[in-house]
Amino acid sequence: MIEEIRNKAKELLETKTVDCVIGYEPATDNLTSRPVFIYEPSQVNRLIFDETCVHNLSKYLINRRYKPTGIVAKPCDTRGINLLLNEKQLRRENLFIIGVVCSGIRKVRFNQIENSMPTKCQYCSQHTPVIYDFLVGEPVTEAPTHNYSDITEIENMSPAQRKAFWSEHFDRCIRCYGCRQVCAGCYCYECFGDELDPLWVGIRIAPGENWVWNTVRAFHLSARCIACGECEHICPVNIPLMLVNRKLEKDTLHLFDFEPGIDTEIVPPFATYKKEDKLGTGE
Amino acid sequence: MTKVITKEDLLSWLRQLAEKYAIIAPVTSNGVTLYKSVGSSEIDKINLNFSKTELSPKNWFFPPSETLFTIVKDELPRIIPASVDREAILFGLRPCDAKGIALIDKAFLAEPADVFYQEKRDKTTLIGLACLSPCLECFCTSVGGGPADLTHLDILLTETAEGYITQATTEKGKQLLTGAPRQEKEIIPPVLPSLNLILAEGITELMPRVFNDAYWDRVADRCIHCNICAYVCPCCYCFDIRDYVSKGKIERVRSWESCQSPGFTRLAGGYDPRPTKGAHFRQRWYHKLLYFPPIFGDIKCTGCGRCVRSCPVNIDIREIITDVQRMKV
Ligand code: SF4
Ligand code: SF4
Ligand code: SF4
Ligand code: SF4
Repeated sequence: MIEEIRNKAKELLETKTVDCVIGYEPATDNLTSRPVFIYEPSQVNRLIFDETCVHNLSKYLINRRYKPTGIVAKPCDTRGINLLLNEKQLRRENLFIIGVVCSGIRKVRFNQIENSMPTKCQYCSQHTPVIYDFLVGEPVTEAPTHNYSDITEIENMSPAQRKAFWSEHFDRCIRCYGCRQVCAGCYCYECFGDELDPLWVGIRIAPGENWVWNTVRAFHLSARCIACGECEHICPVNIPLMLVNRKLEKDTLHLFDFEPGIDTEIVPPFATYKKEDKLGTGE
Repeated sequence: MTKVITKEDLLSWLRQLAEKYAIIAPVTSNGVTLYKSVGSSEIDKINLNFSKTELSPKNWFFPPSETLFTIVKDELPRIIPASVDREAILFGLRPCDAKGIALIDKAFLAEPADVFYQEKRDKTTLIGLACLSPCLECFCTSVGGGPADLTHLDILLTETAEGYITQATTEKGKQLLTGAPRQEKEIIPPVLPSLNLILAEGITELMPRVFNDAYWDRVADRCIHCNICAYVCPCCYCFDIRDYVSKGKIERVRSWESCQSPGFTRLAGGYDPRPTKGAHFRQRWYHKLLYFPPIFGDIKCTGCGRCVRSCPVNIDIREIITDVQRMKV
């Protein structure tokens, strides 16, 4: 597997098809991995791929939108690429996608690999990349399934319970905006969180402002979040952000029969208007 | 003979102290350990076996957000400064975290002192816990600290099978300890762990020579500019100030900010003196390793390893220091 990735990267750089390949290399704990940008064919042996390759590298493509770039991408990451293509943030002709078939990775932290899978993999049924130029691994043909048992649990809470649940979590948010910075869907030149005029949310790092930040961030990603789980993974205070994201994903699926990032061409529900669209979640 | 306090006595002493002082101590919930205010009935929640909290204890003196003062509209506008009503004990500090506070002191207490910080600082006693099982990313001994360094604490506790060895280093600490139920015991002090070393010496002299090196652009490639490193760091102290204006009242609020956030140096009109990703990224390391030391006498890093542990993309200060040492141009 890794030889295939390295050989392809080498070929792409040697033939100047791309001038950089974004992939993974070992982290300084000698256990997990980190993103790496390879510019020289002689450096391709730094590339690795294993169960610790959690990062969604598609975010990095935004900075390189005008430069021919190769990228190693898991299925969830390729949904990020589709999202960006669909929203006209990238040019297809500048991309070379090395897709990797993936049956789930492990929950990792610096110097720590857990035996379990991260939330995103537990609920993921997309094991083959949705867009690629070169595929590593055998494609899996499995009808995608949807399991929202975690969301149903929250939905079954009373409003007061739900409020208490989210207060417990959002109150400790430190507004580092890591969830935004890591997100492939967050590429606004000026985020509402930073905007001064109009002022959407104050700088105070306190419950009221935190609620605004956390809910509006999620809303801006409804029908856009591609479920790569990066925000939850990197949150320094362990806020279960995927529960908010997946609630919106579930609603979008039921209301509009739409899944973000699966296809490059389908017009997403919030970019269009159809008379037959259902209104509200109560129907 | 050494003076020790048993775990039970320590907890009941803290319970008693909580009547008078606000106690801030490590508490674990939802999978994260943070310094939290604990009342006398909550002393049992204190986690005495934590390794290192997710966020540093700087939060107590330099909170994520604070109201500096309020202006109210009476006949004449009145300024009401925020004030601290209770003395506090910050319990369970690691020696590196105490050093983090000492480093912020250098900047915030230098004349003219930051009065908001000073007030909380003056009213707090620091009780430390020696680090007997440090994390893999810790490197305090490479930057002048140590797992049982008591320099910046009022009291240091070191765990043994017989109880905690108590050492007071300041008048404040000695005073407080007189009330602690201690016993004289024959104790063999624990062997202190040895940590992985990196070569940090001389780094300040090297930094100017590599300022324009393409190295910074290359490492910055993978930085996502998320602020996490600065917010978890015990000695990063950048902030932003805004006014919250409502009817008849203005509150001046200070909140954390960091040199890594996207608009940190963007000026009115859009000009940014740190225009590239590399220049933006480089600031963190130059502030810590070059700009701070000549003014305040120390590099601005305690070796706690929090940024190493929490950076989403493994930007590792140990690696940066080592790389710069290797570049030696
Ligand atoms: S990553 Fe976590 S702590 Fe940071 S802003 Fe997002 S939710 Fe808050
Ligand atoms: S949270 Fe919303 S405004 Fe901010 S970057 Fe993301 S999509 Fe844009
Ligand atoms: S935590 Fe890492 S990725 Fe985030 S700003 Fe700091 S160095 Fe960059
Ligand atoms: S190791 Fe990182 S987080 Fe800790 S003091 Fe140094 S720079 Fe700050």
